[in-house]
Amino acid sequence: MKTTMIRLYLLFSFFVLFAQWSPALSDLVISKVDRKIDLTSQVVRVTATLKVENPGNDPISEVLLPFGDHQAKDLAFLVATTSEGKGKTKTSSSSLPIKVVNPEGMPPSLTWYSVTLPKELAKGQSLNLEVRTAFTHALQPFPEKITQADIQLLVFQDSAYYLSPYAVNVQSLSVKLPEPKVESYTKLENTKFSGSEIKYGPYENLPPFSFSPIAVHFVSNKPFAVAQELVREIEISHWGNVQITEHYNLVNAGARSSGEFSRLEYQARPHLRGASSFRHLVAKLPARAHSIYYRDEIGNISTSNLWGDSSKTLLEIEPRYPMFGGWRTSFTIGYGLPLKDYLFRADGKRFLNISFGCPMDEVVVDNLIVKVILPEGSKDISVLVPFPVKESRETKFSHLDMIGRPVVVLEKTNAVPEHNQYFQVYYRFSNLSLLREPMMLISGFFFLFVACILYMHADLTISKSSPSYLAKLQWDEVQTALQQIQSIMNRCLGIHDKLEASLRDLSRTGDVQACKATRKSADNMLKELSKELKPLLSFLQSSTLAASLYSKVEDLVAKEKELQEKLIVKHTTVTDSYEKKSGGRDIENRIAPIQQRITALRQEVDDLLEIIDEI
Amino acid sequence: MAQSAKPISSPVPDAWYPTLAVFMLAIGLVVTASFFIYEATSPRKYRSLAKELVTGTVASVFLGFGSLFLLLASGVYV
Repeated sequence: MKTTMIRLYLLFSFFVLFAQWSPALSDLVISKVDRKIDLTSQVVRVTATLKVENPGNDPISEVLLPFGDHQAKDLAFLVATTSEGKGKTKTSSSSLPIKVVNPEGMPPSLTWYSVTLPKELAKGQSLNLEVRTAFTHALQPFPEKITQADIQLLVFQDSAYYLSPYAVNVQSLSVKLPEPKVESYTKLENTKFSGSEIKYGPYENLPPFSFSPIAVHFVSNKPFAVAQELVREIEISHWGNVQITEHYNLVNAGARSSGEFSRLEYQARPHLRGASSFRHLVAKLPARAHSIYYRDEIGNISTSNLWGDSSKTLLEIEPRYPMFGGWRTSFTIGYGLPLKDYLFRADGKRFLNISFGCPMDEVVVDNLIVKVILPEGSKDISVLVPFPVKESRETKFSHLDMIGRPVVVLEKTNAVPEHNQYFQVYYRFSNLSLLREPMMLISGFFFLFVACILYMHADLTISKSSPSYLAKLQWDEVQTALQQIQSIMNRCLGIHDKLEASLRDLSRTGDVQACKATRKSADNMLKELSKELKPLLSFLQSSTLAASLYSKVEDLVAKEKELQEKLIVKHTTVTDSYEKKSGGRDIENRIAPIQQRITALRQEVDDLLEIIDEI
Repeated sequence: MAQSAKPISSPVPDAWYPTLAVFMLAIGLVVTASFFIYEATSPRKYRSLAKELVTGTVASVFLGFGSLFLLLASGVYV
């Protein structure tokens, strides 16, 4: 504490020295500065409303904003807007471009930012400028170590005067505290402490680089949740999902906890015995987030809660233990978002439009890594982020990948909730690439089938001359012959059915010619089939393995032949009778005995076929 | 963001994934069954390679898309 004070005084004296010999940077004069410092959370937010005037002759297009080194390293966010009007009618423009500059002749302990004004400021004109800044780690816990029962005290240091290279006419500063309790604060002239606010000023007519250190030592039990590293993975699937996975490495960066932790006391009086700890965090997720999970290395963490409405989904997560100062935890949350809310097409390119930062409002991220995993086959990748980030590329292998997915890695240090802005990743992607994954699955299955076919076709016997192998080959041949005989028999029976059908047609239409034609073709076919049957039968006869079967097959063939003959007799009889115009009863009488025999034979043939089928 | 930006959605509505998965897998498995029945019952000499390949291809297309939709329906967005 003391050393920092000394350091600040040294700095101050340096500024005073510097102010004495440095010429004014430009003719600009700040006629009024209103600074509001918000200390209600771990992020120090400073809003400075400047009224700049140009009394000189040269038009001015830039306003310089210096920050001391101790501030510059904590500076997380800086935005400047012009504002017109007053009070409620105030309108703010979009943020003005800001760049780091290095004006000559300035001390190296200052970091300079230059705000480019929307239009040049001519002589006598004035402009309202609003500069909003956010600092992380600017609040130092003092004492640095507290017990479970202690409250947390923080020190904040700044200058009571606005640090500026320009002369300032009127300025005031107000510091807002989280609670109306303050241990001590620097008292200067015109210092007022009321409620939870400390007011410095107004101070009038101060030269450039005026500096007066102040320190506020106050009570704050706000959570000091700092993610030392947060890796956000945003994975796009063109099948309809944007999957977000966030890996947190969280620490309570407040006053370190010393002594022992009593769970009993914590449970009994959490507001007294654990005031400096925090128990849960709330992540504000988009309204249509689904499949939300919260886990760590051990597994699912069940202490979470989810609710929401049409505009947001709130996920309340509770780490496995209350977070006291210096305690760490790491966990992962993940959720899916519908693709059509975040992915768009414009000018032949696709782009993802999604928020950058951490969805938890109270968390400061020391090292934020956003990885956008694009689908396999994306090309021409470009990124548009509204603030400077470090960009690199990676390749990630995920489900069903061949060449890997392109990954855009964006790194940002000192990320605060203000960085929760939308950024865009543009890329080209052909719809045909969408078929890569199903094609991989299809080819996988196809290779399985091909392997089966190959296996079934391949002959893997080692000894091709062993008796068992030869017997198997012979048996295969016998089986094949049997199957062929079966099929021939079935075809014969089919022809028989056709003949019967033609007879039925004859009785209905009396068309003898058609019936005869059918008979002729049936005869031819039967003849051919019997020709085909001959070699098979002789093969079976010669085969030693088929000796027992041969009698059955012979029987079958004989029965079929008889059936065939009877059927032909029947057919001839009926057609002849029709030609002689005999009466229906007469025909029936004549074919009745044949018909009986046919039915019996058909039955026998069917039975035999069944027996052979079973072999 | 340009005015002409059009949202991109999946080629098949998400809600159809479970149904598609069930039906395509069912068809795929039936065709697979017929493939293996054919492999096991018809003798080696009289098996037609074309028929085997066609059945295999049809089965793998159905099984491939079926398993893709099964993955998508179960939340594995490939």
